[in-house]
Amino acid sequence: MTDIQPQPDMIGGVPTPPLAVLPRPERLFRMRAERFEFLAQTATLAPYLTFLAALCRVQAGLAAALPAVAPVDSAVVDRARTAAMPPIDRDALVDDPLLGATLDALLAEARAIDMPAPARLALDALQAATTEDRRWLIGNVLDDSIPADSAAPHLFVAAAVQVHLARLAATLDAGRLVPIRTGVCPCCGGKPAASVVTGVMGAEGARYAACAGCQTLWNEVRLTCLACGTTKGIGFRAVEDAATGNTGAQIKAETCDGCGSWVKQMDQHKNPTLDPVADDVASLGLDALMKGEKWRRAGFDPFLIGY
Amino acid sequence: MNIDLSRRGFLKLAGAGVAATSLGALGFGEAEAAELAHVRDFKLVATTETRNTCPYCSVACGIIIYAKPGDDGKRRVTHIEGDADHPVNRGTLCPKGAALKDFVNAENRLTQPMIRKPGATAFEPITWEDALDRIARALKDDRDANFLQTNEAGVPVNRWTTTGFLAASATTNETAYLTYKVVRSMGIVGFDNQARV
Repeated sequence: MTDIQPQPDMIGGVPTPPLAVLPRPERLFRMRAERFEFLAQTATLAPYLTFLAALCRVQAGLAAALPAVAPVDSAVVDRARTAAMPPIDRDALVDDPLLGATLDALLAEARAIDMPAPARLALDALQAATTEDRRWLIGNVLDDSIPADSAAPHLFVAAAVQVHLARLAATLDAGRLVPIRTGVCPCCGGKPAASVVTGVMGAEGARYAACAGCQTLWNEVRLTCLACGTTKGIGFRAVEDAATGNTGAQIKAETCDGCGSWVKQMDQHKNPTLDPVADDVASLGLDALMKGEKWRRAGFDPFLIGY
Repeated sequence: MNIDLSRRGFLKLAGAGVAATSLGALGFGEAEAAELAHVRDFKLVATTETRNTCPYCSVACGIIIYAKPGDDGKRRVTHIEGDADHPVNRGTLCPKGAALKDFVNAENRLTQPMIRKPGATAFEPITWEDALDRIARALKDDRDANFLQTNEAGVPVNRWTTTGFLAASATTNETAYLTYKVVRSMGIVGFDNQARV
């Protein structure tokens, strides 16, 4: 006998899409590195993409090599469920020694990456940083708010925070998460980097927001602003190739006239290799064109500060 | 920004202090500039995705209609798919619904009221005003002539059996309620919904 429960909604082939898809950290960062490497083959941004590919390789290595993190306490998960709050408490992580160790390990590993002098300078400064400065940096990243005048050191810190948050999120049970609010990650309360329209079986055509912190994908109703939650005044802007008139863009800007912001939406059902972070950076051209429009970017990506 | 002294020292060491993009701050400014120059040849096009309800039957499947400006600048429907967020159909569509785009863009689609007068062989355009007047007149005449207040036994029935009414499917509850009240209040018995067409 098995304990498989009947799922009558599977009969018509139209199951309910899951609320959240938790990250598998090692695999996720490795595939992201591969995507960065692939994109670097043809992009004008190749030097930056190659650098980020190497950084993602470091993230993947750490995700596999670091000692396992303790799962989020079951009582904490229960309390979070009752209060519709994220089970991962970001505030408590600022002084978390495990996060600090992850940052140390990442900084050490990142030394081997080939990078320009300004990046190396930021890396050196981070390794020499005082506890207070480290708390400031980690705090900014955990707040999803990075000062525009110090994007370089925050990038390395954000990479370490991503690894730690993803490893924590991986210990959760997706079935015990509850939706919090539009545009808020049900695992860690973070902002989305972008959203993807998925083509995976059982959720075809459903939209998932990609957490910029813990890398969880969570279901969001399409044609809804991820910044303010309205469904009115939603439009799209896509890059058109003036020479060919081709508008088959797989990455579009979802704009909201309500709050004046926009977030990228990627058609993963047309191209399953699209990665919400790697392709966010690689589609910088869309950001550049959107800068001339009336909306401001609401997708949070520590690799793309300033857009 | 309010930065304390220790942090100012750190920012100096980290080469920070000037607002820049991630690429500029890390020393990839050259690649960034090349990319920005590259995208100048491209432009943004406004596309829309709009929720609606399939008009074919009373299942009322949710659909998403994609449109973008055509060569004349007018928005054209480019694609229609099932709405994955809709509880009724979860993104699926039947063959009729899947062919909706061709129905929207059909050349022989009815875009204005038409009339085929008694004895005529072809339809001709008519204004909404005239059309509604004619319909109201015909309804009134037919009801005056054929409305039954009582049956043979003298029991009040208030029925009008010589006119039928066919309603559409993509209506709101409110529209459906009003339609029902209007039609049944006039005594119409033959009342069906597009649902079964």
